[in-house]
Amino acid sequence: MPRSLRVLITYLLLILLALFMMGPFLWLLSVSLMPGRNVFANPPAILPTFIAFDNYVQVWNFMNFPRYILNTVIITLLGVVFNIILSCLTAYPLAAFRFKGRNLVFTLLISTMIIPSATAMIVHYLTIQAFQLGNTFFGVVLPAAVSVFNIFLMRQTFLGIPADIRDSGKMDGASELRIFIQLVMPLVKPGIAVIGLLEVMAFWNNFLWPIVVLEDPEKYPLAAALTYLNGQFSYNFGWIAAGTMISVLPIILVFLFTQKYYMEGIAGAIKG
Amino acid sequence: MYKGFRSESFTAWAFMAPGLLFLAVFTFWPIIYGIPLSLTDYSVITETNYVGLDNFTRAFQDHNFLISLWNSLVYVLIVPVIQIISILMAILVNSRIPGVKMFRAAYYIPVVTSMVAVALIWSWLLGNNGVVNYLLLKAGIISEQVSWLSTSSTALYVLMFITMWKGLGYYMMLYLAGLQGIPADLYEAARVDGAGPLRLIVHVTLPLLRPHILFCTLISVMGAIRVFDEVYILTKGGPGTSTLTSSVYIFQKGLEQFNFGYASALGLIVSVMVGALSVLVFRLNRKGGVNSY
Repeated sequence: MPRSLRVLITYLLLILLALFMMGPFLWLLSVSLMPGRNVFANPPAILPTFIAFDNYVQVWNFMNFPRYILNTVIITLLGVVFNIILSCLTAYPLAAFRFKGRNLVFTLLISTMIIPSATAMIVHYLTIQAFQLGNTFFGVVLPAAVSVFNIFLMRQTFLGIPADIRDSGKMDGASELRIFIQLVMPLVKPGIAVIGLLEVMAFWNNFLWPIVVLEDPEKYPLAAALTYLNGQFSYNFGWIAAGTMISVLPIILVFLFTQKYYMEGIAGAIKG
Repeated sequence: MYKGFRSESFTAWAFMAPGLLFLAVFTFWPIIYGIPLSLTDYSVITETNYVGLDNFTRAFQDHNFLISLWNSLVYVLIVPVIQIISILMAILVNSRIPGVKMFRAAYYIPVVTSMVAVALIWSWLLGNNGVVNYLLLKAGIISEQVSWLSTSSTALYVLMFITMWKGLGYYMMLYLAGLQGIPADLYEAARVDGAGPLRLIVHVTLPLLRPHILFCTLISVMGAIRVFDEVYILTKGGPGTSTLTSSVYIFQKGLEQFNFGYASALGLIVSVMVGALSVLVFRLNRKGGVNSY
């Protein structure tokens, strides 16, 4: 097969696949820009005949979007900060220190990945209630404040740092904490960026646990508020489409601007 | 020397203490506490009693629970489909042609968006008068409208399709990383020996992707058994019990009906099942190996 034909077929397949993966989003965008049209009209409206932002304006005015966005940002920030601090602190000794019990910690961490706990959410609910954190953002964030996955990812990153760095710090009489903060942490910025991004997406999209913990719908993050909108206005398709676009656009933009790090990080999670 | 070792040990534990504390409370404790909880009839309404193994005998006579286990097992059927399609996708986006990175990003977008949004879009697309029925009717593939999500015989498969659609990009990226780690001269050598594209895939690509296939299979088996969001948002297990998966049933018993004891027992049964399945996957891939990150 000549090379040009092969390239042509490759592009054809790439475009078909792109339609399959992106088509539903493009259609949602199209619905959100068609005021007063029913998605179930016959034949279904696929492309807008004219573009208008009425749905966006109306749904923005009707729902308290700034409130929900603020909730989501607070939850996401808290979640990301907890995850970065806790997984770096936990992963660093596992990569750089020699100590008794290192293998024990490692085995314990791995075992949690192999035995998933379907009951976890129920026990989390009881724990959060016992700590009196029900209906608080901390109650939303704490159960996912650190993950084994992130610890492994950071350990992998710390392993790439030469031991000389720590030794030279010790020679100068710096404490372990100071070595960690001033010498080691600046070297693992790419790793931190990756777990940061992973957690931004996880917390931004989280909907179920917030609904379980938060009694007050005013505290809902965007994804949870969306289910609420869908339940209340199941026939106002344009509004729901616009609301959904508002909730997914920020995360898609974050992804598009950071995809290089993000994809390298995901790929770096396993090594053959 | 000994003293130095001990102080290093102390520092290590001091560093790890906050993280391990959180893991203890929110990762280890649910696994441990689930066991005593499963031996009680703990609920918010009545006094808690020790009931021995009653919850477990009840579980195996609970028709709906058995159906939910069966549905979860059916759900695992998407695992090989996901692996095959995402490996092919990875091979496709590994081509060195201009603009290919744009396509990689496009395929990844379903992964980063929330399941709430994805479920909403597909529920519209799959509606009676929705776009999917319209296109399939036009193409002559179906002769009348199908209520994909409210027909017992199709609902579970439609959910499996949505799960697959959302996850393909994720597995594609993992496989792509694997592909990029394969040295180009291996392909050159095979080509010199006269191997065609198909033989290259079967004899060079797949054997070298083995650790990745094991890892991806393992996480997608667990994902399939734990599937919750899409089912809960789109069908809540219905119509009837046709899409009732074990996670949805446990959630209903636990956090909707507040039968914490019974739900814990169900969770334990499912955990044991998942553990057994992952051992099975490891056995089937004995030659492969996950380099624990």
